Amino acid sequence: MSLLKSKAPRIREKRLDTLNAWLGSAEAAKQEFTGEETVQRIRTFSQSSEDDLIYALKLLAGVRESVVIVHAPRGCGAAELCHKVTSGNGRWIVTNLDQKDTIMGADRKLRKAAESAYREYRPEVIFIVSSPVAAINNDDIQTVVEELQEELELPIVPVYVTGFASRNAVTGFDTALHSILKHLAGTSGEVERNSSVNLLSVVEHPDDRVEAERILELFGVGLNLLPDGASTATFRLAAGARFSFTLDQDSGNYLGVMLRDEYGVPYVKQSRPVGLGATGRWLAAAGRALGQEEAATAYHVQESERVRRALGDFSLAGLRVYLALPPATAFAVADLVGEFGGEVAGITVGHLGELQVSELESFSDRYPTVQFHVGDGQAFEELNIVRRLAPDLYIGDGAHIGQVARLGIPLVSLENQPVLGYAGVTALVRRIAAALKNRAFTETLAGLRTPYRDEWLRRSPNWHIKKEVK
Amino acid sequence: MSNHIDGSRNSCALHGALQLIEAVEGVVPVIHSNAGCGMQHFLGVNRANAFGSPFGGPPVSSSNIGEKHVVFGGSSRLREQLKNSIKVVDGDLFFIVTGCSTEMVGDDIPAMTKEGRDQAFPVIYANTPGFRGGVHHGYQLAVRALVEQLPDLLKETQSPIDGLVNVLGIVPQQDPFWAGNLEEIGRLLKGIGLEPNLLLGYGRGVDGWHRVPEASLNIVVSTWGEAAASLLEERYGTPFLRLDGLPVGFASGWMLRAVGDRLGLDAGRTEKFIHDEETRLRRHLASLADAYFRAGFQREFALVGESAQVVGLSEFLTRTLGLLPRTLIITDDPAEAEKASLEQVLADLVEEFGTEVLFSEDQSEIAGLLRSGRAGLVLGSALEAQIAEEIGAPLLRVSFPLGDRVVIDRGYAGYRGAATFLEELGSLLLATAPLR
Repeated sequence: MSLLKSKAPRIREKRLDTLNAWLGSAEAAKQEFTGEETVQRIRTFSQSSEDDLIYALKLLAGVRESVVIVHAPRGCGAAELCHKVTSGNGRWIVTNLDQKDTIMGADRKLRKAAESAYREYRPEVIFIVSSPVAAINNDDIQTVVEELQEELELPIVPVYVTGFASRNAVTGFDTALHSILKHLAGTSGEVERNSSVNLLSVVEHPDDRVEAERILELFGVGLNLLPDGASTATFRLAAGARFSFTLDQDSGNYLGVMLRDEYGVPYVKQSRPVGLGATGRWLAAAGRALGQEEAATAYHVQESERVRRALGDFSLAGLRVYLALPPATAFAVADLVGEFGGEVAGITVGHLGELQVSELESFSDRYPTVQFHVGDGQAFEELNIVRRLAPDLYIGDGAHIGQVARLGIPLVSLENQPVLGYAGVTALVRRIAAALKNRAFTETLAGLRTPYRDEWLRRSPNWHIKKEVK
Repeated sequence: MSNHIDGSRNSCALHGALQLIEAVEGVVPVIHSNAGCGMQHFLGVNRANAFGSPFGGPPVSSSNIGEKHVVFGGSSRLREQLKNSIKVVDGDLFFIVTGCSTEMVGDDIPAMTKEGRDQAFPVIYANTPGFRGGVHHGYQLAVRALVEQLPDLLKETQSPIDGLVNVLGIVPQQDPFWAGNLEEIGRLLKGIGLEPNLLLGYGRGVDGWHRVPEASLNIVVSTWGEAAASLLEERYGTPFLRLDGLPVGFASGWMLRAVGDRLGLDAGRTEKFIHDEETRLRRHLASLADAYFRAGFQREFALVGESAQVVGLSEFLTRTLGLLPRTLIITDDPAEAEKASLEQVLADLVEEFGTEVLFSEDQSEIAGLLRSGRAGLVLGSALEAQIAEEIGAPLLRVSFPLGDRVVIDRGYAGYRGAATFLEELGSLLLATAPLR
């Protein structure tokens, strides 16, 4: 049976043994996944973090000519306000569920919101994003979707996120991608084969997308970039493409695998093109898949020569770097740090699961004893760890970077920073060089107290991470 | 029944409570909800204003309940989270606030709070699920919790302060200039010999809230402070003075005289203070005259913002600066009775100008109103940027969300705020006027 028949994919915990809490050496992290059974951990103290609903909203805000209806009380659309005012992306309507709706259900309200979205914007697609309240209330979104679809003659795509079923926000990408394929790509029988190549780009920086497209121009193939900036037509095209290639094999994994398993589009997995070495390997993999390996090699030699000249004698030799990033980026940046002669002092990844095993193995071969931390937005643990390690540089992308800044360490945020390809190396190195050259800002903040008690900062950082009792 | 909202700028009750809590130093919110609730607050409020998280990021304590808690209840998870919050996070007061899921599940928050109290934890609570109301309601719930629950917690008495006046009704972040506005209102009250109890912002912690019952008067800047003022009147007999809106420029004199009257202050001192401040503001206005005429200040304007702000700024723009009010849109969804009284206040202000006064929090409706109004100047939020561009009007970002504008301690209230406002408006009009 097609996996797309279900309302939503299985959560990352179940599908890929994904953990969101863990602390130990890199070697022990590897054992956790290569040994008999991966055991889920929970926290006895926790801090706000991203969830599947926010991740789904982030992804959907990038789909062209769409309107998102958040079927929830009004606070569940707050992140959309941020997308709107910081990137100009996203049109959203919140159904504004009230107390009565939580008892009686609110399908009429949902229908009205969709009709209004259609009248106001004439979009190509309407996404209906579920929420904790809709999930707990078990609102019948499906029936509304079917009725609306007939009435409005446009695709209405329900996205069944819950905010609580998974502890891994990345599940929200999977759920949104599942719904998109199910409703926008057509059934496997309808697909028309074409000569284009899919480039899977899930919530990447716009400059990174441009860079990836620039590099792949070399091969002279038509690219379908998706889901970032895609329209409904892109998804149909993608289902019949020659193969799929990815910018991030963690966030794009579900899309790649489903296009492969459901539509027969081969999926070429490759680590993120961050740093010269990884970009070369990424490009070579694309070249191999297209039978243009030599062109890829020649191009890489030429481009990396250009970048090396531009970077001059930049080096991280003798510097210890802490990384706090989503897993695919974290491992990629760890390689980049190595390329420039630096060392990883410690690492925090937002989540860790089967998709990361091979990268984790290479990491632990190189840094077996380095502290390996898994946690998304758990700043209290990060600060505890980073304070002890006293690295020379911290590279992260969390919303809590302002807290880390109070440790007085030079700091680079990747939250709004292009990192991919040749342009990414140059841009990232510039940022790192600037952070190391003038440390005045974080040194000024260093006198401030962190939000935490000294007792906590003296305690073992894994204090609140426990094995889950089923 | 509530309606759906397109592009809502008003978040939920939980977020409103968090906005209040984050503005009181030393108070730590303990969110009992999904992991994402606090993050949505950070993204949709702190970040939407580009400045303003005291913790350097998203909220620092959240129970992050999962499927298990939704099915079996999350009280034990809250118990654990509260106990550990006190061990991990530095704070004088721990404030439990709830989200929709834990309220639907029916977790007993008062019981958990009592358990904490029994262990001598400094803890209070408010039930703040988003399905029960919007961001302003959340502000009210959090203020009420502080007023009602602090006296049980802080028993020791403090030495009384003469002429103490509380200022209520400024909702942090929804008024992006809340900190600066409070500072200036405080400066004005000091100017006539009073001791302002501003309650929010830098250096203002639980102590100020402890002193709330001692005040001789509550000044209520917006409708959102009324519930607390009524409660304080009922409990402690404290009278309150409700302002029509934020006092901007010469309206400050009205406020100071009214306060002086209520408290029987020395009228000579009050008048002297007002006179000095007004003279200074008039001087600023006179210096601006050249730019005013050169850049064609006198044009029709549209103003989109919260009720207190719309009243205050439109009064100053119309009565002092001589601009022409075209469209006034109030976005904070006040209660029906309050809408009627706001309509009256604004009608008195703008009656001769054929101004449209509307209430809406729906982005597409607001854009439609601005499109048909075609004003030559828009004062609003980042959400009005697109429509302002479309109608070719310069936009001054004055209301939530500011987007890419950083505001630290400037404000528009009072005499100094009026000068700040002139600086900003003047710079914008000069930069966008087709000068020869």
